[in-house]
Amino acid sequence: MLLYLENEDLGYQGDIVLHNISLSVSDGERVAFVGKSGAGKSTLLSVLQSRFPNDIALIPQDTGLVRALSLFHNVYMGRLHQNSTFYNLLNLVWPQKPEVEEIGALTTKLGLEGKLFERTGELSGGQQQRTAVCRAIYQGGSAVLGDEPVSAVDNRQAVQILEALNERFDTILLAMHDVDLALRFSDRIIGIQDGKIALDQPATDLQRHDLDFLYIE
Amino acid sequence: MKTRRLYTGFVVALAALAWVAIGNPTAANAQAKEFVFTAIPDQDETQLRKRFNKIADYLSKELGIKVKYIPVKSYAAAVTAFRNGEVHLAWFGGLSGVRARSLVDGSVAIAQGFEDKSFETYFIAHASSGLKPADSFPKEIAGKTFTFGSKGSTSGRLMPEFHIRENLKKAPEEVFSKVGFSGNHSKTIALVQSGAYQVGAVNFKVWEKELKAGKIDESKVQVIWRTPPYPDYQWTIRGDVEKTWQAGFVDRVKNALLNMKDKELLDSFPRSSFIPASNSDYQPIKDVAKEIKLIDD
Amino acid sequence: MSSDVIVETQSKPRYSQAVRTSFWFVIVALVCLLFSDISITTQDPWTELKRMGWGIITPNFLDYRTILEALVQTIAFALVGVALGAGGGFILAQFFHIGIVRWACAFVRAIHEIFWALIFLQMLGLTPLTGLLAIGIPYAGICAKVYAETLEEADLRAEKAVPGGSGLLSTFFYARLPEVWAHIVHYTSYRFECGLRSSAVLGFIGMPTLGFHLESAFGEGNYSDAAALLIAFYILIVTLRFWMRGRLLWLYLLAAPLFLTGGSEIKLTNIVRFLTSDIVPAPLRIGDFSGFVDWIVSMFQTQVLPGVFATVILTQIALVMTAFLALVLFPLISEKFFGQFGRSIGHVFLVIVRSTPEFILAYIFLQLWGPSMLPAIVALSLHNGAIIGHLMGRYSNEILLRPDHGKGLNLYGYEIVPRIYGQFLAFLFYRWEVIMRETAILGILGIATLGFFVDSAIADIRLDRAMFLIFITAILNIGIDIISRKLRARLRINQTVEAV
Repeated sequence: MLLYLENEDLGYQGDIVLHNISLSVSDGERVAFVGKSGAGKSTLLSVLQSRFPNDIALIPQDTGLVRALSLFHNVYMGRLHQNSTFYNLLNLVWPQKPEVEEIGALTTKLGLEGKLFERTGELSGGQQQRTAVCRAIYQGGSAVLGDEPVSAVDNRQAVQILEALNERFDTILLAMHDVDLALRFSDRIIGIQDGKIALDQPATDLQRHDLDFLYIE
Repeated sequence: MKTRRLYTGFVVALAALAWVAIGNPTAANAQAKEFVFTAIPDQDETQLRKRFNKIADYLSKELGIKVKYIPVKSYAAAVTAFRNGEVHLAWFGGLSGVRARSLVDGSVAIAQGFEDKSFETYFIAHASSGLKPADSFPKEIAGKTFTFGSKGSTSGRLMPEFHIRENLKKAPEEVFSKVGFSGNHSKTIALVQSGAYQVGAVNFKVWEKELKAGKIDESKVQVIWRTPPYPDYQWTIRGDVEKTWQAGFVDRVKNALLNMKDKELLDSFPRSSFIPASNSDYQPIKDVAKEIKLIDD
Repeated sequence: MSSDVIVETQSKPRYSQAVRTSFWFVIVALVCLLFSDISITTQDPWTELKRMGWGIITPNFLDYRTILEALVQTIAFALVGVALGAGGGFILAQFFHIGIVRWACAFVRAIHEIFWALIFLQMLGLTPLTGLLAIGIPYAGICAKVYAETLEEADLRAEKAVPGGSGLLSTFFYARLPEVWAHIVHYTSYRFECGLRSSAVLGFIGMPTLGFHLESAFGEGNYSDAAALLIAFYILIVTLRFWMRGRLLWLYLLAAPLFLTGGSEIKLTNIVRFLTSDIVPAPLRIGDFSGFVDWIVSMFQTQVLPGVFATVILTQIALVMTAFLALVLFPLISEKFFGQFGRSIGHVFLVIVRSTPEFILAYIFLQLWGPSMLPAIVALSLHNGAIIGHLMGRYSNEILLRPDHGKGLNLYGYEIVPRIYGQFLAFLFYRWEVIMRETAILGILGIATLGFFVDSAIADIRLDRAMFLIFITAILNIGIDIISRKLRARLRINQTVEAV
């Protein structure tokens, strides 16, 4: 069992957003959280993040990039914890060949070729999002947690990103706004509505219209 | 890439500091054998360098050693440099010389200008003040605005303050409506000439020089009183120079100064000649300085 | 109280807290004005002013070698001094949350560079190290404060995405520092301009920088020489952005030490004597404890209390005047008010006003108005007003206006000033300390501020008194630092400003 919540009220600093949540996630599950914006997906995800072991890879909604640093460095940051501080600092001032090659290959795969040493602040929104995905993939580990990781890219790239994530991680927890993609790339769909879990079923049991109720105004 | 710049910068700065701190060892060694002197910056600082570089050449020739002049910016800096052994010889004013000798054991006054036996301070006033030249201390200056020269000057501070206290029995701040320190004698003249201050105290040598140079309009500013004479400028040397150079070195320097006959050199001070001086010649200055609490003990 | 106001009178205008705070500062300054002396007494300043004017239009560049040499020295001292200050400040910023570090920084920056130089002159003599430490130490205190505040306010979102267990240093250098790096570079380059000014001014006490020759030339009334030196300095500042380029900095830093040689040998005995004897109060040196009590009492009666009084009065008036001038001056370089040509003139004007050492400004006004606080107030507020005006002007350029915004005074009053007012107050609160520090160097006006007494004590080689007074000055400065921090917190003003 990777994560287990039972009858918990969740929120920020006493401001409860999600009520009476019970949820468990096992290793190897691929979970998509769906629902209207404002339903509480992000809150749930940030709580899940804080409950997870340290080495989970993250793709925050705001990408969490250091805009002043290059694409290379932002991706490399995924492995700060695996290398010595000295090596990290060396890489900061003098990018090392093995990392440059590995990160170069990875970013090329996600359509960021030729941007390796550009400041991420100068990249487009979609490119920044892919950078954040690259960082998570580069970090690796068994699990990834992403909040709308494909919100700023087109459908083709979204498929590319989700395939890459599926290839890399056993356990995947993603908040998604695109129901089709959620059904296609997840094993399990959790629907959030008005601060509650309104649906929690295997993706294979669901059709697109089964989720429509989550989006009714 | 930019971080690299910061850190390299920092390392370079540290290295530079270390280098400077060690002080370029070869240079320091050379200096140990160099005889260094300074002078209080009483007037005409831009000319000081030229003037004293000539004196350095002269002394170098007379003494047969390397002599260097270093300029300083204040009376206190001259005293400090002398005290710290940065300079071995100095051209001091009366007060700065007394201070320097009390701080350095074994240091002695060796020569003074012929005119320095009986130096004077002129009290000068702007025409609008209504003050007229007089032979006795002009008590009417009370209540006017007044500027000294530099805080550490004998002629621009010590002696005028002494006479003010002596005659009016009060501290200058109580006597005058405003008391300023112009910084040097030329500025004192300029400030009184413009009427910014009504009264000022100035070194008589500087006054005469600027008068000759046509910088003074006597319809605007004039001398209203001359102090009684007092001993002022002198050459003072550290006693420990005989350890570095040989015994009798103090006398050799003294003789070199007394034998200075080149009119151009002497005019630059301006003095007509140098005559022998001793520490005791400056006892009156010391007493006055103690009395008005400019020096302790 | 504020809620009462709302209930009572919805129709009456209410002023924001920032405006009310400003109002109180003006009231305090007006009260101070009652205790200050601002009479005008001069008779005929025009002879001297004509000579100065003539000097300005006939600058004497004949001695160009001296000028060039002095410029190079000025740059070298500024470069290495600021590098030391920035490097030291950067390290200190990491420990700024520790009370003692914060206090120490407030303490060292309370002391004017000139006084630092005078202190090191006692220990190290006329060596380059004296000048470097005189810049480096107070700048470390200033940079530590600003860097710490900048880092504190960094965007933390990136840090949250860093994998757990990445180590403090790695996280800092990857996720924290790069976020604020541009700001730090920007601030440090501003500091460098200040460093050039400090470096030039250190010439007044004997460093071989521009001030050395400027003070001589000015002191003796050689105004053509003085004008040449000043013009050279203005050009140096105006062209700063052309020659101070990122990559060239390397080269400069490597080259600078080559120029910082010479000076006499540093003797340990002088350092030891200064620390163990010179600065010990005179009665204590001979073990006279009752004499020490008298010493303290007399110091307070004759110097500390009158000194603090004059310092505070002058500071508060000059602060408010600075504010007014800054508000008037900033449009001169703002894209919102002037075109390219107008702004260039504005730039040159502000450079001249802020780069002319205060004592020269004070001297000019002393000629005009005679000795009183007035020349001091005007000199201080012009100098500082031009600095804040410069920063505000640049800041105002970043404002985005709607296309149909007003023009002229409407634009000024409705769009620009309200938007930059918080920043403006922040600049002023930072500058507050500086103005107080600068009241020190106006002895020519006969205003007995704390700095005046420090200067007197050093002139008398009474270093015990000097250090005691410096200590009091530092405490006063820390007090102002605390007040300004509280005010900024209350007004919720952006802390990380580039002006100190």
